[in-house]
Amino acid sequence: MKTLKTIFILFVVACAAISCTKTITPVLPDNGTQLVIEGVVSDTTGPYHVNISKTVNFYADNVDPSVSGATVTITDVTSGITDNLSETSAGVYTTHTIVGAYGHLYRMTAFVNGKTYTATSTMPQLVKIDSVSFDYSDKKQIRPVAWYQDPAQFTNYYKYSLTVNDVRLKRFSTFEDRLSNGRYIRDKADVDTMEIKNHNVVKFSLVGIDVGAYTFLSEAADVAYNNSSLAAPATPVSNISGGCVGYFSAQTVSSATGTASY
Amino acid sequence: MFKSNHLITILLLLVPGLLLAQQKKVTISGTIKDKASGETLPGATVGFTQLPGIGVSANTYGYYAISVPEGQLTLVASYAGYKTDTIKVDATKNTVININLASGNSQLQEVVIKSSTNKNSNVLTAPAGVQRLSIESIKNVPVLAGEKDILKTIQLLPGVVSAGDGRAGFYVRGGGPDQNLILLDGATVYNASHLLGFFSVFNSDAIKDISIYKGGMPASYGGRLSSVEDITMNDGNNQRIGVNGGLGLIASRLTVDGPLFNKKGSFIVSARRTYADLFTNLASDTTIKGSKFYFYDFNAKANYQINDNNRIFLSGYFGKDVMNIKKVNGIDYANTTGTFRWNHIFSEKLFSNTSLIYSNYNYNTSYLNFANNVKVTSAITDYHFKQDFNYYINPSNKLDFGFESTYHITQPGSATADADSKYNNVVLGLKHSIESAAYLSNEWSPSAKWKITYGVRLSDLDVVGPGNFYTYDVAGNVLTTTNYGSLKSVKNYFNPEPRVAANYQLNDQTALKLSYDRTVQNIHLLSNTSATSPTSIYLPSTNIVKPEVGDQVALGYYHTFHQNDWEFSSEVYYRTLQNQIDYKDGANLIGNENVEADLLFGKGRAYGWENFLKKKTGKLTGWISYALSKSERQIAGINNGNWYNASQDQTHHLSIVSMYQASKKWTLSASFVYSTGNPITYPNGKFTVDGAPVYTYGDRNASRQPAYNRLDLGATLYTKKTSRLESSWNFSIYNVYGRANPYTIDFQRDPQNPDKSQVQLTTLFKFVPAVTYNFKF
Repeated sequence: MKTLKTIFILFVVACAAISCTKTITPVLPDNGTQLVIEGVVSDTTGPYHVNISKTVNFYADNVDPSVSGATVTITDVTSGITDNLSETSAGVYTTHTIVGAYGHLYRMTAFVNGKTYTATSTMPQLVKIDSVSFDYSDKKQIRPVAWYQDPAQFTNYYKYSLTVNDVRLKRFSTFEDRLSNGRYIRDKADVDTMEIKNHNVVKFSLVGIDVGAYTFLSEAADVAYNNSSLAAPATPVSNISGGCVGYFSAQTVSSATGTASY
Repeated sequence: MFKSNHLITILLLLVPGLLLAQQKKVTISGTIKDKASGETLPGATVGFTQLPGIGVSANTYGYYAISVPEGQLTLVASYAGYKTDTIKVDATKNTVININLASGNSQLQEVVIKSSTNKNSNVLTAPAGVQRLSIESIKNVPVLAGEKDILKTIQLLPGVVSAGDGRAGFYVRGGGPDQNLILLDGATVYNASHLLGFFSVFNSDAIKDISIYKGGMPASYGGRLSSVEDITMNDGNNQRIGVNGGLGLIASRLTVDGPLFNKKGSFIVSARRTYADLFTNLASDTTIKGSKFYFYDFNAKANYQINDNNRIFLSGYFGKDVMNIKKVNGIDYANTTGTFRWNHIFSEKLFSNTSLIYSNYNYNTSYLNFANNVKVTSAITDYHFKQDFNYYINPSNKLDFGFESTYHITQPGSATADADSKYNNVVLGLKHSIESAAYLSNEWSPSAKWKITYGVRLSDLDVVGPGNFYTYDVAGNVLTTTNYGSLKSVKNYFNPEPRVAANYQLNDQTALKLSYDRTVQNIHLLSNTSATSPTSIYLPSTNIVKPEVGDQVALGYYHTFHQNDWEFSSEVYYRTLQNQIDYKDGANLIGNENVEADLLFGKGRAYGWENFLKKKTGKLTGWISYALSKSERQIAGINNGNWYNASQDQTHHLSIVSMYQASKKWTLSASFVYSTGNPITYPNGKFTVDGAPVYTYGDRNASRQPAYNRLDLGATLYTKKTSRLESSWNFSIYNVYGRANPYTIDFQRDPQNPDKSQVQLTTLFKFVPAVTYNFKF
């Protein structure tokens, strides 16, 4: 619905009326902090990490205060291997032995301040990205395009993430094949204005995720980038039970690199 | 289908007038028209100097009938903005008296008539919650871009609030934007807005008047919970050819009307188009250049008086909006309505109207994303038959009865993709339903002080095939799929809707009104964005989606003073709403065959206190409207099942409208609106996902947007006013003091400082001047 708004604002500009934006600081509700768990197992070489932190007030810095002293395990339920993670830096818990495998079911358990949080995730089959190209139609907002074949025999969910000159962009987008099953996909990833400039090297990572992680991530993307047009924005529904936000994802990663050039 | 015959018989027996022996009476009947144009004047009143307390108002077609005792009488016909006419009547037999009123106020005369007839003001006799506005009476109210707009003006009345700048739709007494039945010559207009709410689809040159019902709903109306806006198109001048139009900065319009068939009929043709896109082509920005933003609409109507007892009307509307951003996306949507009507007078006492109505709304959204072009098409089509009777039994009983049936076909969003697009084509089955109703309502005046209107509307929805119908488990997975054949009944909903309205006149100036009504809604609008958008989906009730049911009780105090120059009303109401629809988080409305599995259901309640003070005559006219209200919802699965404020809840709402005739040439006007900010869900915290800030939320609608307020000014300069030619300039300024009213409020990462977040408020209309040149000859 972002586009609707764009249309309207453009219309108003065209009418020579004045639309404008300003920064406001409304009083926001404060219901205390919540625990945030973000855990990943992937088909890339380990180790893998689980990050535990807390939410902050909206007006605070975009840094999540880490939560130390948790006990975290990840179990490959399919092969019956359990890995006890170590806290390698504050709030960052790291695996030792576990290896990501397609089709395997993983369970994450975190014991934090007397409460237990658990989640499961199944690693989907790998979907490979063929290549990355660029859409230069708006030079101020060059958008990378991923080319890949969606497999018809599976229901697929994806996350897109990007690095520009080896720096990871603080942005993600999601896609599902609900209306695209079996299609050859050429899909743009969202970026901010001037995030990608001419001659930048862009790595596009196509991340295959399962439905639980997708539900969380797609709702998170909506809330992060599109909150004003949601009739009723709500906290993204986590696939972790126990009362926290965040997600646990066993995922596949396929990347392609290209250089923006026009 | 239902057996309505028995019920109607029983209801007929309830009409007291039928059971009483009547004294010798004669019926005076006829049509009330404008002298100069021949336009009928619905709502004009007829009374008699010799019979204080007895009166009748003309129906939608200007027809009136009244039974009176035999004798020599003086008939008094009056209508707001017209000279009151008196006619001597030799009432010894049934007599047809057609009345032609001349426009223009003659206050002196009115005062004389009023004091001699003791004639009651219309506002005292109309049911509670009803208001009729003519285009003439709103022509000086300042509006956005100088286009006078009847649908925008009613949003300055108590209990009717705008959905906000840049938002289509409006809310009535705490109801949703889809709970208003908007009729144009009897045809449902599904999307009454152009350019996402910038204008309404009603071209003021083609419109005669609007009747708005927000309570005490007459039994002849149904299908929506909150209100009815019944809009009538002009019939056209049957005396001479006329041309009028306007040239504005954004839109221009042209209307031609005139007599047909030796003045036995008349026609009107009216067209309007915006040309904002002419400016977009001049733009240097490549995205704006080549983009399209325009709408046009076209109204046409013709009528023919076959003989004294038969008149036919044919009217139609077509309007289309196109908004395309080059290479990004586009929206286009169109409303089409067509109405054939036949007025037949069976006898002086029995008036009949038969309508055949077609209505269509279709909307297309194109997403032009790189190679991924896809077009999503949705539509709703109605074929509608309606038969209404007005039976003027005797002075104390007037019976309205009739029946109607509509065949709805909805297309809930199908997608067509280009061959190399990332999307598959998605074709969703059409949904079919037959909505029928029979109604009977009696207006009973047991004494000069009392008027009681009571009746019932029996409504029925038959959900029919062809198509697949599903049942779902709690998680929303399909449990069963059943295929139904063409016109095979899937589910039937039958609902009796009782309607009662009582007026008690305390004295010549004061009346108390009490009403109760039940309304049922079977066509639901699904939209999980923050406003009515053309991409929303219309869905009839199904085996899963139950009819929405509303009950309302209203009590009003009405008072007129200074010879009816002023009127004051104060009304309280309480409403309950059942089977209200909301959405699960992340609900998919587009291309979703199982959209019903993403819906949540619950109930609502709304209550309020509305006050209205209006000055109708003199150099200074206008009104003040203030409402104190509350609207809440309780939906299982939202807010832990607790009550929360509905998105349209506005605690305080104040409108002040004033028009001042400064001289023969200049009319000045001003309007001011203030309302409490609408409820909104603000984040209560944030965390990062892949480095991007994501927000957490607490209770639904727990915060409020900044208050809305705005002052608009207008001035009209009459440059020429002769009998042959009238021309005027209209100047207006919308939002004079540039209040930053919210259009959207975005929570986002601060572009200047990625470590911080900020709240961005976007305002659409700050200080919008406009000028329009209007002419008429």
